Amino acid sequence: MLTAPTAAGQDAADPRGGTGGTPPDRPQGRRIRRPPHRPRSGPRRVLAALWPYLLVSPTVVGAAFLLAYPVIRNTVMSFQHYGLAQLINGGATFAGVSHYREALTDPEFWTVVRRTVWWTALNVALIMLIGTLVALMLIRLGRRLRLAVMSALVLAWATPVIAATTIFQWLFQSRFGVVNWALVKLGFTSYRDYTWFAHGGATFAILVMLVVWQSVPFAALTLYGGLTTIPAELYESARIDGAGPWQSFRLVTFPMLRSLFALITSLEVIWCFKCFTQIWVIGEGGPDGATTTLPVYAFQIAQSFHKYDLGSAVSTLTVLILLVALVFNLRRMFRQEGKEGTA
Amino acid sequence: MTAATPLAAPGSGSGSGSGSARRRARGRTRRLRRLPLNAAALLVLALSAFPVYWMAVTAFEPTADIEGANPHFLPLHPTLAHFRTAVHADGFAGYWRNSLVVTLGAVLMSLVVALLAAFAVARMRWRGRRAFVLLVFTAQMAPWEALLIPMYVIARDTDMLDRLSMLTLIYFMMTLPFTIVTLRGFLAAIPVELEEAARVDGCTRPQAFRRVTFPLLAPGLLSTSLFGFITAWNEFAFANTLIIKNQSARTLPVWLSSFSNVFGTDWGATMAASCLFMLPVLAVFLLLQNRVTAGMTAGAVKG
Amino acid sequence: MRSRSRLLPGAAALLIGLTGLTACGSSSGSGAGDDAGPAHLTVWIMRDSVADPVLNAFRADFEKAHKGTTLDIQIQEWDGIGQKITSALASNDAPDVIEVGNTQVAQYAASGGVDDLTGKVADLHGSDWIPGLADPGKIDGKQYGIPWYAANRVVIYNKDLFAQAGITAAPKTRAEWIADTTKLNTGAHQGIYLPGQSWYAYAGFLWDEGGELATQSGGKWTGGLDTPQAQAATAFYRQLQALGQGPKDSDEAKPLQTNVFAKGNVAQIIATPGNATTITAANPKLKGKIGYFPIPGKTADRPGAVFTGGSDLVIPQASKHQAMAYQVLKALTGTTWQTKIATTMSYVPNRTSLAGVLSGDPGASAMAVGAADGHATPNSPNWAAVEADNPIKQYLTQVLTGADPAKAGTTASDAITKALNTSS
Repeated sequence: MLTAPTAAGQDAADPRGGTGGTPPDRPQGRRIRRPPHRPRSGPRRVLAALWPYLLVSPTVVGAAFLLAYPVIRNTVMSFQHYGLAQLINGGATFAGVSHYREALTDPEFWTVVRRTVWWTALNVALIMLIGTLVALMLIRLGRRLRLAVMSALVLAWATPVIAATTIFQWLFQSRFGVVNWALVKLGFTSYRDYTWFAHGGATFAILVMLVVWQSVPFAALTLYGGLTTIPAELYESARIDGAGPWQSFRLVTFPMLRSLFALITSLEVIWCFKCFTQIWVIGEGGPDGATTTLPVYAFQIAQSFHKYDLGSAVSTLTVLILLVALVFNLRRMFRQEGKEGTA
Repeated sequence: MTAATPLAAPGSGSGSGSGSARRRARGRTRRLRRLPLNAAALLVLALSAFPVYWMAVTAFEPTADIEGANPHFLPLHPTLAHFRTAVHADGFAGYWRNSLVVTLGAVLMSLVVALLAAFAVARMRWRGRRAFVLLVFTAQMAPWEALLIPMYVIARDTDMLDRLSMLTLIYFMMTLPFTIVTLRGFLAAIPVELEEAARVDGCTRPQAFRRVTFPLLAPGLLSTSLFGFITAWNEFAFANTLIIKNQSARTLPVWLSSFSNVFGTDWGATMAASCLFMLPVLAVFLLLQNRVTAGMTAGAVKG
Repeated sequence: MRSRSRLLPGAAALLIGLTGLTACGSSSGSGAGDDAGPAHLTVWIMRDSVADPVLNAFRADFEKAHKGTTLDIQIQEWDGIGQKITSALASNDAPDVIEVGNTQVAQYAASGGVDDLTGKVADLHGSDWIPGLADPGKIDGKQYGIPWYAANRVVIYNKDLFAQAGITAAPKTRAEWIADTTKLNTGAHQGIYLPGQSWYAYAGFLWDEGGELATQSGGKWTGGLDTPQAQAATAFYRQLQALGQGPKDSDEAKPLQTNVFAKGNVAQIIATPGNATTITAANPKLKGKIGYFPIPGKTADRPGAVFTGGSDLVIPQASKHQAMAYQVLKALTGTTWQTKIATTMSYVPNRTSLAGVLSGDPGASAMAVGAADGHATPNSPNWAAVEADNPIKQYLTQVLTGADPAKAGTTASDAITKALNTSS
């Protein structure tokens, strides 16, 4: 089921590309033997051609009402004067691009953008690095220890975000928190009653720890799953060729799991970039805005200052930035879609 | 892309199995060399489990011990007092039920809808398929927190405020894209030849799907529902905004956050509340995890 | 085909469900139905405002007087309240009466989501409302917020702990206060529990120094935390805060400082006298052991300046029981319940003519001393936006944890300036 490294020259639109079920209505695309005793009459063929559309229609309808429509409302709002009075009584008027101009010329917006990029990059890098190391470790472990470590990972993964955030607040609590106690015991006496959540840098670091702690299990377990599909013979022959551990990772593991790495990385980029609940619950983007990322910023503008219009503009910009960041990945996927069924 | 399966990487077969056999043969010096590896494993284990463990310890400890000079790593005088505080905080049972109803509703809906779409994407070829997949992936980027206000306005104008059904619909949509992507990966992993063979044996296409593919897909469905369960069970912002006047329609995350406002200093009660909040997720996880791994080897026919 | 027939209805049901979603008609509009008949009313009261027993008594009394009407009194948390009230005002079926802090009422009055009660002022005896509550509820000559009660902060102390420390008279100056608190602050007992973000208390110290949170000139606001006065106030706040274990990064609501005081090992907190009711409810053993004194000023002849706090009541336009909601509001602001609330909670009643009911109340008399130098937050509808993401709290935490007061003060001042000068 793992997508092998893209074979060159295979056209994206090539319908022969896979075993993924040739549609009954396109005989020219047949490569696989289909049950021969199944003659189709005209109307049935039309019905068969309609099937895929029927199957995706609930998704399309749901997304139209519950996703596309709110997004459109949001975009419209960003071009209107939309404050508390308009929320309550309606009557929003057209504002043109003034909110976009306001956001883009505010130096604070750019500070937040830089912080968001740094936040996402740091988290994703740590998650991928640790996730990969843990996966490589897991596959080398004995059965019992591996099961134990996997269970612990699942435990971290299963912890609900709000609960995890509360737990971290408790771990780093200034007076009775176990972290300060341990640090003092280790001789760092300056950490006695240290208030972590009063310092921007410290709060940022704790949030990174929290997000990494919660995200590594997904990356590690998925990568471990991928590793188990790599035939041992490949490593064997790499070793015979004199490859060390790093080389065999570079020459065997990574190429084999390239698409899995790409997928996990882009999912993590999305998740870290959008991360909101943890940041909001810990300090509402504070202290002093040190943990305000774009989603938090947009939420603050809308909810605290009742500038729903400006908030919408910022969140629209947020989505655009994320799209640009992932456009290469999307393009790659789009191309790959043509030749699905690499199973 | 097709590998979007979190728990389900199939085919444990060759790699690890023969590896361990090989290792066993290498004798004692190997064991020494494995020491750093095992130490690393223990470290990962400790770091992963400690926060949750600490939550449990705190929840069972009397306040005097919690606020003592030195923390205890085992509850010396275990007590259920904090759990009593948490359960007796007003409305707990109702909020629990609300969360369960909303979560299960959203997960079931999204599984059914996603299965249809995933089937169309993985097994059929049609115009617009690529665009559809791309849109599904893009939908994962949906900035949900930014949609609070438009969603609020829409809910208000359709008289859906203060209703659990609105939350269910939103959570359904939040989990749908990921569910489609994941299920599609699972489906792609099941060789279509199996279905075709069944059809040669005289099954109709839906019958073939139901009798052959669906059983193989079951573990995938379960593990995918896990993700949806967590997402919906956790959701805070919409639950906090769309349930306004009807307080009995609150869900657990909102309850937990207001609980920590009121009982902020009472870390024991707060941790007990967190335990109670986490329990169902953990239960579902453990329940499904077993089936998923068991089904995984069975599903790995293609090797 | 069997499973097709099983799949299809599901999909169809979903489609119907989703389209039904939009078809359920948009019954927006204010829904200002004036049904005076039996109804189920929702009243929002803030956490730590009027104590539960009083509210329960009011509910029983009101339900008896209005047969068939039921009251659902819901306690709201301060955290995120702005967002909550906003969503309520904008909804189609809002709570019927909402308590709003007097620093925030201007914003909602200006929003257009609240009933204009100008015509009812006479009926509510508005001629002698106390201005600190009536003015913020009034925009362009129209009365939206109806004064409910006022209060200012005093020092609530534990008589036992004071006696143990040998303190016989309440401190009159800051110097005496620090000396006494230092004496009270033993290992087992906290001299004072002052959370790092008690910005109302800080504002008092700031006014003592002659400073302001923000000043207005030529229609433009300027934050005042970058001034020498602010630094002097901060220095005192810091000195006092260190004489206990108040968290540096939290306010008095998280955790509730009354709960902390109720444990019995805290000698003093800065709070409105009414909080004594909450304290004794949490720990009945402290009954009769709670005393009050005015916040000491810099010199003995002048008590510390205080923030005049309090609450107004508003009726959302989206309330579906306008007439009955008005009855609730009228009862809560009328003589009977004003007297009961004032005497049990030691709050200042909403009318000057009722002030007599507090004579002999120790908490109220301590409050009255401070009230002589009562101050308000900057009078702007935007002030609520300042509180929503409060730069003063962040400033205090920064300074208490070692940041440079001048630098932190400039940051906070800029934030206040920016928030107050936004046009909405």
